[in-house]
Amino acid sequence: MICPLENPENTQVLLDYGARKLDSAHTAILERHMEHCPSCREFAAGQRALCEAMDSWEAPPVSQDFNRRLYRRIDQEVSVWDMLARPFRPLFVRRGLPVAAAACLLVMAGVLIDQPPGSPAVSQKDMAQVESVQPEQVEQALDAMEMLSEFSHHVRSDGQESKL
Amino acid sequence: MAERVRNDMGGATAALDFDAELMLRVKEGDGASFSVLLEKHRSSVVHFLYRMIQNHAVAEELAQEVFLRVYRSRGTYEPTAKFTTWLFRIATHLALNSLRDGKNERSQERLDDDSSDMPGRQVSDRRPSVEQSLVYQAKLDEIRRAIAALPEKQRAAVLMHKYEEMEYSQIAKVLTCSESAVKSLLFRAYETLRARLAHMA
Repeated sequence: MICPLENPENTQVLLDYGARKLDSAHTAILERHMEHCPSCREFAAGQRALCEAMDSWEAPPVSQDFNRRLYRRIDQEVSVWDMLARPFRPLFVRRGLPVAAAACLLVMAGVLIDQPPGSPAVSQKDMAQVESVQPEQVEQALDAMEMLSEFSHHVRSDGQESKL
Repeated sequence: MAERVRNDMGGATAALDFDAELMLRVKEGDGASFSVLLEKHRSSVVHFLYRMIQNHAVAEELAQEVFLRVYRSRGTYEPTAKFTTWLFRIATHLALNSLRDGKNERSQERLDDDSSDMPGRQVSDRRPSVEQSLVYQAKLDEIRRAIAALPEKQRAAVLMHKYEEMEYSQIAKVLTCSESAVKSLLFRAYETLRARLAHMA
């Protein structure tokens, strides 16, 4: 066995041995190596002592009302969207959606027609802006999209209920 | 559905990821599956966040946010990785943000307190003497301080390796780095801890 301390890719063997996570086959190989390698022996003993000390750090139990608080937050989130959507619901269900879809189509058609044939679709400035978007911004945008889809789902389901 | 998870993730490990199957059921509107996932992973997420932040109230608040994000993302969930990898990636992201924002300033103060956050050591057969309790608390505080002093990524890697018993490949995915980078992070972190806590051995 090549000494784990001389091979950075293999030092995890000593870490796992110290944490008692190494399987029996590898443990046997390492113990045979340690019989004539004082550096590994010392490292493993120190690592094992550290892991045993760390074992004494217990985390406190989770609060009993953790689930209740979480489900309340989930319910609140759903009900806030429901409350915000309520005044606009008839518009969205009866007239809003077809009107909005038609307006979107008109705007898109207008943009396509107005665009000169030779002009580049995206300017370099826009590209630079796109490249500088942070992961947090993407995450926030995805969260917002998720909220919107939930919102439209509610509107749709309420619309179906009102039809019934 | 199990077949779909197998196809999406590939290999035997993925086939065993029952959590991903549960999450796909949540995606299809099954609230009970979300409850199962919550029961299964609640403790490990709270405990990981507690050891990262070292403040129980903040850790629980962040854990709530983790599960809220899981619930919010159910519609777009795709089992591209192990469920726990995704879960701990969210938890680590929130913990690192909280540490950077300094939201847990109280945590360092708590280390100087009598550690009322900590559970009392359960000794059922014999009660420890006052002296033993003090020695135990002092030892615990030293461990907490040593871990708190580690750089954030090293701390996260050690906690996932030591307490969550995650594999190197999974820690690498959570921290979005290579497996060899994780090994290096862990080696340096444990080296620092061994040096700081050598007198305890």
